Amino acid sequence: MAKKTKAPAIQDERAFHNMALVLMSLLAIYCVVPFLLMLSVSFSSEGSLTHGYKFWPEEFSTAAYSYLWKKRATIARAYGLTILVTVVGTAANLILTSLFAYPLSRKDFRYRNIFAFILFFTMLFNGGLTASYIVWTRLFHVKDTLWAYLLPGGLMGAMNVLMVRNYYNANIPYAIIEAARIDGANDMQIYTGIMVPLSKPVMTTVGLFAALGYWNNWTNGLYYITNPKLYTIQVYLKKLMDSIQFLKTSDLATESAMLAAQSLPTESARMAIAIIAILPILLVYPAIQGELIKGMVVGGVKG
Amino acid sequence: MSKPVAPAVSEPEYNDVLKQQKKRKRAEERKRTLPLYLMMLPGLVYLIANNYLPMFGILIAFKKVNFSVGLLKSEWVGLSNFEYLFKTKDAFVMIRNTVLYNLAWIILGLVIAVFIAICMAEISSRKAAKVIQPVICFPSMVSAVILSFIVYAFLSETYGFLNTTIFKNQPVAWYHTAKYWPIILTIVHFWQNAGQSSIIYMASIGGIDKGLYESARLDGAGKWSQIWNITLPMLKPMIILMMLMSIGRIFNSDFGLFYQVPLGNGLLSSTTQTIDTYVYRALLELNNISMSSAASVFQAVIGFVLVLASNLLVSVVEPDNALF
Repeated sequence: MAKKTKAPAIQDERAFHNMALVLMSLLAIYCVVPFLLMLSVSFSSEGSLTHGYKFWPEEFSTAAYSYLWKKRATIARAYGLTILVTVVGTAANLILTSLFAYPLSRKDFRYRNIFAFILFFTMLFNGGLTASYIVWTRLFHVKDTLWAYLLPGGLMGAMNVLMVRNYYNANIPYAIIEAARIDGANDMQIYTGIMVPLSKPVMTTVGLFAALGYWNNWTNGLYYITNPKLYTIQVYLKKLMDSIQFLKTSDLATESAMLAAQSLPTESARMAIAIIAILPILLVYPAIQGELIKGMVVGGVKG
Repeated sequence: MSKPVAPAVSEPEYNDVLKQQKKRKRAEERKRTLPLYLMMLPGLVYLIANNYLPMFGILIAFKKVNFSVGLLKSEWVGLSNFEYLFKTKDAFVMIRNTVLYNLAWIILGLVIAVFIAICMAEISSRKAAKVIQPVICFPSMVSAVILSFIVYAFLSETYGFLNTTIFKNQPVAWYHTAKYWPIILTIVHFWQNAGQSSIIYMASIGGIDKGLYESARLDGAGKWSQIWNITLPMLKPMIILMMLMSIGRIFNSDFGLFYQVPLGNGLLSSTTQTIDTYVYRALLELNNISMSSAASVFQAVIGFVLVLASNLLVSVVEPDNALF
């Protein structure tokens, strides 16, 4: 009797296990394939691309990458700016976030709840893009400066501050802080000597998401940057796409269209630029994906 | 908290002493907390500039903006910007698109995310899972600009993969035909987000007591019955929570997906225009600050109400997960 009911169940389980494995492998392939198309186009000769984009280069060529090397002045500049913005932005984000979180975590700080509310309210309500745009351009004049990449939007998020504060509360016993105070340490010493070193895990998560956000940010460039010398790699790619569209819709005989067509990188070169824009993420991703996934679980519930 | 012991001191004098003590304590506390305020200062300045000043900026929607006299001196026009906005066809289209995409994707997204999570949990002991999980989350790491390049490689009307292979004989004008975009955007959205959105459910499944499955198995329950009777009921609180939270964002959309992936193409606006893309277009492409701010404030206010409402519901259903 027991055998009869058990056997189908086990069979059932094995079938389900295999189905899950096959389906998830297919999903993984589905997620990778579009990147392969990009890669293949970037390694195709310009002539073979006129037959269409293929998943395997019809005629292999590294011309696109040689072109990038020839154009290295422009591309390295955009790339360098992206790195600069990412490094400075992430560092500033971490400093502001943890500095703000520390007083909120201090139970003997009488007004901590008022400040926590000031912070928290920004998660509920915002003035919208139009108002932000006017504040940043008319009041702070960030237009066409590097500040435009750093300041609007992503410098310090309420969610992250609260996450860091909760980490302090849960993982750093108040007794340590009190002991340090009795030993004569001031708040800055407690912050740099105790809070920062003891909160490395949460700072890593916050830092990784901030870095990813800065690296991928293109909307600030779209809103605030018109000077081509200040393009980051994402903005540069966005403008490339615009010029392709411009050419499609305009008469090729006009002078501006001809100029645009001449300065435009080839089809394969454009994909090559997109590839080198994802490359740094791809290179560090295996090492950081564990942290990112952990962060998504925490951020997913309250965010 | 030592009580003054000297009985010889009269009542008013005693009060004076208390007052002075209090004053000294206050001064001490102020001195003690001053560094804390200084530490919060950079963050506070940033919150004012980035969040609170724009909140006052919503007043722009009630003005006829004239930069030559300045924002403050611009004329008040009451609700006429909103009246004007809602008389246009754009208003209906963008609200319809924003809400419908959100509703469809909330439901579809739930099914997809839970399904992936159940499958991933099933194979979590295998080595392959250690590769599959990061791979299916990777698409969420790239920007909308990169996304638009990938989509373009498939859909470009002259050289794109689809038009030169599958639709070789009848090339489709993807970037000129609005009716295809609900499907294209849905595919792109889930390609980018499916893996990432399943993580939260995967974590919940990981927290389910393995003993439940053991005893179900001993009772002869098959895999499907285990999923139906154990996994799904155990996921229910998380599912409800995620659904309620997504209600709060129903008037928001992913600007990059709706603007950059269709390449900012105005021809497609009947199916790709959302409130976010309209606000941007009105502000920077049409230079119509009145319409832009009216749409933007409309979105912000409705969004605020919805966030409060969804949180109220969460606090009733799952008090532990409420934001406040």
